[in-house]
Amino acid sequence: MKRSIRLRVALALAAALAAPAPALAAWTRGFAVEWYEPAMYYGAKSGTTEPGTDCPAGTNPEPDWIKVLIDAGYTREQALWLRNPANPTRSPVHGQNQMAFRGAGRANVYINPTSTPDGGLVGVSGDIGEGLDLDDDPTTGFVSPTGERGIDNAFYRALGCWKTFRGPPRLSSGALSSNDAMRDGAWTMVVVLEGRGQDPMNDDDVTVGFYLSQDKLVKDAAGGVAPDYTFRIKPDRKLEAIFKARSVNGRIVSTRPMDEVWMRDAGMARELQLLKARLDLTLQPDGGLSGYVGGYRPWKPVYDGYVRARGPVIEALTWVRLPDVYYALRRHADYSPTGPNGEKTHISFAYRVSAIPAFVLTPDAKRSARATSYKALARPEDSAPEPSPFNVVDGIVVPKGAKAESLPESALLPPSSTTAAGGAP
Amino acid sequence: MSQRFNRRSLLRGALGGCAVTLGLPALDLFLDGHGQAWADGKRLPVRFGTYFWGLGLTDTPAGGSRWVPTTVGPDYEITPELEPLRPVKDKVSVLSGFRVIGDGRPNLVHWTGHAAILSGVAPAAINRMDGPSFDTRVADAIGGGVRFKVLDASASGKVVSYSTRTGSAFATPDTTPVELYTRLFGPGFQDPNRPDWTPDPSIMLQQSVLSAVTDQRQALLADVGRADRVKLDQYFTSVRELEQQLALGLERPEPCESCAAPPEPEAPKRGASIDVVNSNTRTMAKLLAMALACNQAKVFNFVHTPGASETYIPGESKIYHQITHDEPTDARLGYQIETSRLAGLVMEGLGAFLTELDAIKEGDGTLLDRTLVMAFSDTGYAKIHSIENIPIFLAGGAGGRHRTGQHIAGKGEAVTRVSLTAQQLVGVSVGEFGVGGMRTSRPITELMA
Repeated sequence: MKRSIRLRVALALAAALAAPAPALAAWTRGFAVEWYEPAMYYGAKSGTTEPGTDCPAGTNPEPDWIKVLIDAGYTREQALWLRNPANPTRSPVHGQNQMAFRGAGRANVYINPTSTPDGGLVGVSGDIGEGLDLDDDPTTGFVSPTGERGIDNAFYRALGCWKTFRGPPRLSSGALSSNDAMRDGAWTMVVVLEGRGQDPMNDDDVTVGFYLSQDKLVKDAAGGVAPDYTFRIKPDRKLEAIFKARSVNGRIVSTRPMDEVWMRDAGMARELQLLKARLDLTLQPDGGLSGYVGGYRPWKPVYDGYVRARGPVIEALTWVRLPDVYYALRRHADYSPTGPNGEKTHISFAYRVSAIPAFVLTPDAKRSARATSYKALARPEDSAPEPSPFNVVDGIVVPKGAKAESLPESALLPPSSTTAAGGAP
Repeated sequence: MSQRFNRRSLLRGALGGCAVTLGLPALDLFLDGHGQAWADGKRLPVRFGTYFWGLGLTDTPAGGSRWVPTTVGPDYEITPELEPLRPVKDKVSVLSGFRVIGDGRPNLVHWTGHAAILSGVAPAAINRMDGPSFDTRVADAIGGGVRFKVLDASASGKVVSYSTRTGSAFATPDTTPVELYTRLFGPGFQDPNRPDWTPDPSIMLQQSVLSAVTDQRQALLADVGRADRVKLDQYFTSVRELEQQLALGLERPEPCESCAAPPEPEAPKRGASIDVVNSNTRTMAKLLAMALACNQAKVFNFVHTPGASETYIPGESKIYHQITHDEPTDARLGYQIETSRLAGLVMEGLGAFLTELDAIKEGDGTLLDRTLVMAFSDTGYAKIHSIENIPIFLAGGAGGRHRTGQHIAGKGEAVTRVSLTAQQLVGVSVGEFGVGGMRTSRPITELMA
């Protein structure tokens, strides 16, 4: 009998350890993120490149790539041939690998950005910005569009005039691309709210959890994300963000910054670490949830993400010299985890998030999910890095086993040694 | 009609010690009174072709479009990017609003769109399809009895074809007009209207050589693993097609009223600039059209430009693919100006292609009237690699089965409905197409006469 009791107790303990402990929640709400993008305030009245209060000269223009190459030591004839669509070394998908080798001594500028001078990516000069007050100091940062002071978003200050980020909500090219990929099944992020009070709209003890889901978003006939589908949480050893908050009239605001959380980045970094993380979300009349999530993110992985995404492609499509992004992030970094005098390895940042109602379940799909940690349930294979579809080495695509290296001088001119038709003037 | 002979009758005899067969010409005896069908009630052949171009047509993030007509049904308006189709507008149906439903599979950019249209399922991996492309099913159904079961051609100089029986091995296209000409009208071509036809003993010899390795082929198939078996199956399919082709070379071809072997094209122009690609498209269209008219083939696949199209305007340094991504939307006009300009130029290729098919008189109509061309792309709004609102056109009368000249708005339905419709329009006995969320048994009946 005693043995049986001990067995039951052991089984109960095992079950309790295997699954997250049930919280004493009075209410829970589930959501699926249908769109999220860096909070980049657009100060122009139309378009995506026009001058505005944010960027008085408009979006940073496309570099003159011929000049960039000549400045890097190539002859004009070589520069024209490297940019010529008829050049067989210029891939229609991966761009011109030789663009990497324009540092001192033909160094690869993607992995050695300081081997070339800072070209000076023009940042935001306006005062209005979106995001969160991360340092509890209303005298630093931007003023929000609704007049709140102290909005810390140095990421926006550094990169807000870069074409990939500039534009009204949901219309910048970077946000369109990443969210379309998410909506087409590349990943899913879900949100769980839970509270201990009686009224979700006004509750002093709210917990908010952001998780990956193993289930893909479902589109409706109009191409939007359909609400009220069911999603199972996908446990991940790293990507999980849990916040403590309170709700007042439906606005859910952090009660304290979270030391460290991790989310799925909607950009090239893939993994987003946020230090001193906070949120400011609002329950919407249609049942949705929208607002900001932010903190201090490490800036070097942002740069490395663009390098991994193929330097020549990013440069051509987003109108930027990639090393200038490195310099801009380093210049505007505003947080050191080791204290005020430490190296500024992090930069203030916020996401603009929109989520729709959904049924969020535990990983085993046996019950509604709570806003608690599921990391203990993650298997190693659940957290495997996403494979790259291309063999990217040092920022360029090369055949497997090959090195990322500069072309020999003899290959830098067309076979006839005269610039073929199709070259830019 | 004669009780002893019909259009399928063969005269059998011997030549040089070899048995040969001799087909009979299309005698009036075998035709109905209208010149539209054989007297036994069977229609003159219906042909089918796919036409692919890369990077879709121009949409805008705000929901506008440079190509979707504002009205549905017949007599749609010609929108700016459809202007090159104006000469054949009444023979072209426009299909907008159809999309790929991935069933959780991510969008593999510049691949998922057309792979899903052709195979009926969003692919799991790039450069592979999860099933055969449906053109092979069409070829099996209607492509027999002619010299080439399928013809594959690519106009941009790239060895690109999306036609596959296995999902992993793809057809090898002819990439220049000269290559295509040589295949069609070089050695092995028999003028169906030539009066002094005799079978070529060298063809009989080639056929015997192939037959001799049949046993070894089967033995090899039994020895290899699954992956190699798939590759070999695709390879031996082409061998079997070659055997059938050789066998046909020993039959006297039926005369074809519209067939006139064209002159050999000039030396090939190479390069991906849009003027070269469109010039090659027009020349190759003439060749393909004559191949259909000469009853050399009934099914073809044509690639104008690949998915991530590298075509460009001569003198410019940017390629089309790059422009679709990097060009901002014009704030005043609401669309990408240069992208739309290139889309219009790319559509000139399709317009020229269809015009060439329509220029050949056949019976009481044109070759295009007896053909169905399904033209489609890999993306909708190329800037973001969208797989919604992928532009698709069904061109040609399919022998009277296609109710042409309509705009069909798909409203988010699966692209497989169009693929199923195309197959049924050319007479393939198929009741459903696609897998999972794209499985459909509903053709677009508005397009069916």
